[in-house]
Amino acid sequence: MKILVANRGEIAIRIIRAIQELGHEAVAVYETPDEMSRHIRIADEAILLGDGPRCDYLNIEKIIRAAKRSEACAIHPGYGFLAENPFFAKACAAAGLVFIGPTTEVISNLGNKVIARKIMAEAGIPMVPGTTNLKQGKEGISEALAFAAQYGYPIMLKATSGGGGRGIRRIESDAQMKEQIPVARAEALAAFNDDSVYLEKVVINPKHVEVQILADSQGKTVHLGTRDCSIQRRNQKLIEIAPSMIKNQKLLDEICETAVRAAKAANYLNAGTVEFLIDKDQNYYFMEINTRVQVEHTVTEMITGIDIVRNQINIAFGKPLSFSQEDVQIRGHAIEVRINAEDPKNDFMPEGGKKVSVYRSTGGFGVRLDGFVYQGYIIPEVYDSLLVKLTVHGFTWDETVGRLKRCLQNFAIRGPKTTIPFYENIAREKDFVNGDFDTSYIETHPHIFYYDEDTSEVGKLARLIAEIHYAKENPYAA
Amino acid sequence: MTRINQGTPAHTIVETLRKTKGYYITNTARDLSQSDFKNRILLHTDLMAAESRDKAGYFSLEITGGASIHVDMLRKQVDPFLKLKKLREHMPKTMFQTLCRGVNLFGYRPYPQNVIRFTVREFAKYVDVWRTFDFLNHVPNMHAVFEEVGKAGKLNEPCLCFSTGPEHTNAYYVAKAGELIDVTGRDITLCIKNHGGLGTPTRIGELVDALKQKYPDVPIHYHGHNTDGNDVGRIVEAVKNGASIVDGADFAFTGFYGPPPVLTVVQTLKEFGFEAVGLEEDAVIETSEVIRDQRQYYEQFESQIKGFQPTVQIHKLPGGAMGSSLEQAAKGGFLDRMPEILHKELPRVQKELGNYWSVTPGSQILWTTAVANVLDGERYGNPSGDLRNLLLGKYGPFPFYEPEEWIYAKVLGDDWRTVLKEEGGVEKIADMDLAHERYSLAEQIGTEPTDEQLVLYLQHPNDAAEFFKFEHNYGQAHVLPPSIFFRRGGFEIGENLSFRDYHGKEHMVEIGPSPMNDTGEASVYLIVDHHQSIYNFKTKKAEGPAGAAQELNKEEILDLAKAGDVRSPFSGKIVEISVVEGQEILVGDRVAIMEAMKMQTPVLSEIEGIVTGIYAKKGDALKPGGKILKIDRNE
Repeated sequence: MKILVANRGEIAIRIIRAIQELGHEAVAVYETPDEMSRHIRIADEAILLGDGPRCDYLNIEKIIRAAKRSEACAIHPGYGFLAENPFFAKACAAAGLVFIGPTTEVISNLGNKVIARKIMAEAGIPMVPGTTNLKQGKEGISEALAFAAQYGYPIMLKATSGGGGRGIRRIESDAQMKEQIPVARAEALAAFNDDSVYLEKVVINPKHVEVQILADSQGKTVHLGTRDCSIQRRNQKLIEIAPSMIKNQKLLDEICETAVRAAKAANYLNAGTVEFLIDKDQNYYFMEINTRVQVEHTVTEMITGIDIVRNQINIAFGKPLSFSQEDVQIRGHAIEVRINAEDPKNDFMPEGGKKVSVYRSTGGFGVRLDGFVYQGYIIPEVYDSLLVKLTVHGFTWDETVGRLKRCLQNFAIRGPKTTIPFYENIAREKDFVNGDFDTSYIETHPHIFYYDEDTSEVGKLARLIAEIHYAKENPYAA
Repeated sequence: MTRINQGTPAHTIVETLRKTKGYYITNTARDLSQSDFKNRILLHTDLMAAESRDKAGYFSLEITGGASIHVDMLRKQVDPFLKLKKLREHMPKTMFQTLCRGVNLFGYRPYPQNVIRFTVREFAKYVDVWRTFDFLNHVPNMHAVFEEVGKAGKLNEPCLCFSTGPEHTNAYYVAKAGELIDVTGRDITLCIKNHGGLGTPTRIGELVDALKQKYPDVPIHYHGHNTDGNDVGRIVEAVKNGASIVDGADFAFTGFYGPPPVLTVVQTLKEFGFEAVGLEEDAVIETSEVIRDQRQYYEQFESQIKGFQPTVQIHKLPGGAMGSSLEQAAKGGFLDRMPEILHKELPRVQKELGNYWSVTPGSQILWTTAVANVLDGERYGNPSGDLRNLLLGKYGPFPFYEPEEWIYAKVLGDDWRTVLKEEGGVEKIADMDLAHERYSLAEQIGTEPTDEQLVLYLQHPNDAAEFFKFEHNYGQAHVLPPSIFFRRGGFEIGENLSFRDYHGKEHMVEIGPSPMNDTGEASVYLIVDHHQSIYNFKTKKAEGPAGAAQELNKEEILDLAKAGDVRSPFSGKIVEISVVEGQEILVGDRVAIMEAMKMQTPVLSEIEGIVTGIYAKKGDALKPGGKILKIDRNE
């Protein structure tokens, strides 16, 4: 049996591994700028979609054609690209291909923030106070101002079809509200082909906690515990940990049960994530359900020992989950950092186009790497900057942080600047070490941006040796 | 057998010396390094020797001071304070000794009082014995150092700089000793500083005897150089006449201009019934066995001319300046003129300038003047700034007699009497604003400097700041052995280098290929601790840096200067550009100051006009004829 992976980079490799472990064959697809990518070598087959960039990974027709050509019977969309596009799921079904993910209807309902909120409200899931889609024109603006009068600023203005941190803006005043609604609509129309927007009360400095869900076609829904993704910059996650560090097990249990209820209310199928915000007073609010495998699924796999992608494939082929909620045991802690080719000091400017002249990874007990780059690889400028995800697992939190620190020190990537030294600073930072952080962490800890690029003593001396070697006329012997 | 350990109070040290029969030995490793290896012996080698040197039971290890502070930072890339700390870790017992140039500290010209005191206080934390001298034996130049050393509870070792000639009588030196003792008191060791290795054994014996007769309770430390090959003879006579401490070095590294081998001294004196107190000969031998293999890496720093120089009795150059003088002669292409310079002109200049002591910075003045006199053809025709200062009495009074009037006229000009009257006398140097200096260093290195960093910066501002930047970029390079640090011509492909880092961890570096990229960059591949690393270099520019030019001769340079094209008159470094663009200047105005052979010389304008272009900047090294600036003649 062949399964096509409609994605690139590290997640393509993650999925190919699961396919191969199940005894199937994996078919990779790629665009021309990705022809050096490692996911192509690891797959059993690879098909060039076109010159891209990005547009071919998003081209439903080309991908279905590639699946047909390679005689694949199923498609795994990964995350991003077409993963949460209901039309893609629908096109797969129409072409007689198994789509590894939720049904078209689920994707469609949960992808629309307003419908999703409606479903959840009916199921009694606690939610941040918010509106339905604002009416067009002046009516919508007065609706918004009335909401603001009731709940007070700040308020989030969100694009109904947005996601992944896009299409969100924070509003601080009536004047700004009036000004920003038309702007947000125009932007949403351009980005998501849907100009509907809605409002949500802002929860100040919340923790971002999410619950991993697996639901099979027999109606069994289980959760795999919590993750904390609070450490973000501008709504992009940088570090994810599992389980949540909130020292209130009763609350966490309740959140997990609520997540299962939410999934059931949505008739959820396959793997998904129910996201919550938790405020200072430990109130929790439903945010959204992500209908895909997430970047940070690795931390959950580490603490549960359950292979989420393998289960995704099995569920898609109609198999029942082989375990029950009681079988899910959380053991220890896991931390994932996204090692990106970015310069944190320069506003996380991507370092695309650079060659990875040295790539030396880490290893050892409790360490997992999900990456796709190698020494000599030139990072394409046209895709995201994720190089490798480092996930560490430990029996205690202290052990896990110590392992993270050690692994980051062991890593050596030369060529592009990376987020490694930035994470090293976080791994040393007191509040992080104490497990005390919320979504304001990056902005309230500016000193984590102070570091030298190469601090290892031997690295400095090796540079001196290289200079003495290169100079021929050794300046120190002059 | 009474060994004196580090930490012993000064008074107890001196008491022990007074009571003990026999003599002690100082291992003058720093002076050996300076005299025979251009000061390049690395901390790496001294650390190899540390354990057995500590075991050997020396009175002290002379390991810092002189030119070493400067060279540590400039060439060896080691923090002079860190050097002392690392050595102390491995040498808990032995006292550390420095050589301090009094008011000139560890530099080449006088420092303000507050800088002197601050510097001595910081170094006295690590240095137990302070050998302090002044090249004119002008005692007030050493006051501040004596005081601070005393306050720190460390041992003062004031020097009588020694030389030969009709004026250099026992009576003079005994009186000078009295002058010193009046200031320091008697809990000192008094050094006879024979930096040239001058005089016969008998002469040294008589001097020691004269001093001991007058001051029987003041222990004498005889310091000599083996330039003529006869310092063992002088040491024997010194000890026979009552010297308590003498200087030697490890035989594996002894050369020609430094101190003689410790072991030879010990073996010889045994015959006369004198025992080296506290000394373990086995450990002395062991030290040389341990470091012998390292000497090959220092060969490139040995003197251009091999062999003893008995003619030192004529030219009197100090051992510490022999190597660098010969190097300058070789580089300047006037090695063939050396007999004339050393044996005719130098003794003549010495006599003309008052027969003072040829030691830093006075030795440089004598040497530079003699070289200029011979090479330029016109005696005293191109006087250095420092010679001018000497005649003005800035360093102190001439000890015996003043130079003849014609020399004053040549150096200071025809109105020399007025100049002398107006500008003459010991320079009163205003205290520096240390807070401001600290701030200025912080600006340069980007962090708040430590007190020790500030001290180093006050000694040698440019070189210290450069060194701190080096340290930041390359870490503790002193961990590299000389086989790596001094390698010339690059390494072999596949060569394996190993060293221990600052924390003691062993590292391996394998040399890989160095291909040229199509971008014109060269890459050096190294396997560092089993992992490949790549270092990219911009290929060297064919053009030299600004200021570089074809070497011009003296006439050409003068012709250009008269046309307003100011060139470097000799091979040296720009210390200061004294003018700015657009500035109007007159004939004879100073436009820049250059430094060569440790001497500063002003560059004067040959014409009247306006500065229209400046090509060189502070710190640039220029060859003769290197462009400095342009002056447009006033029409």
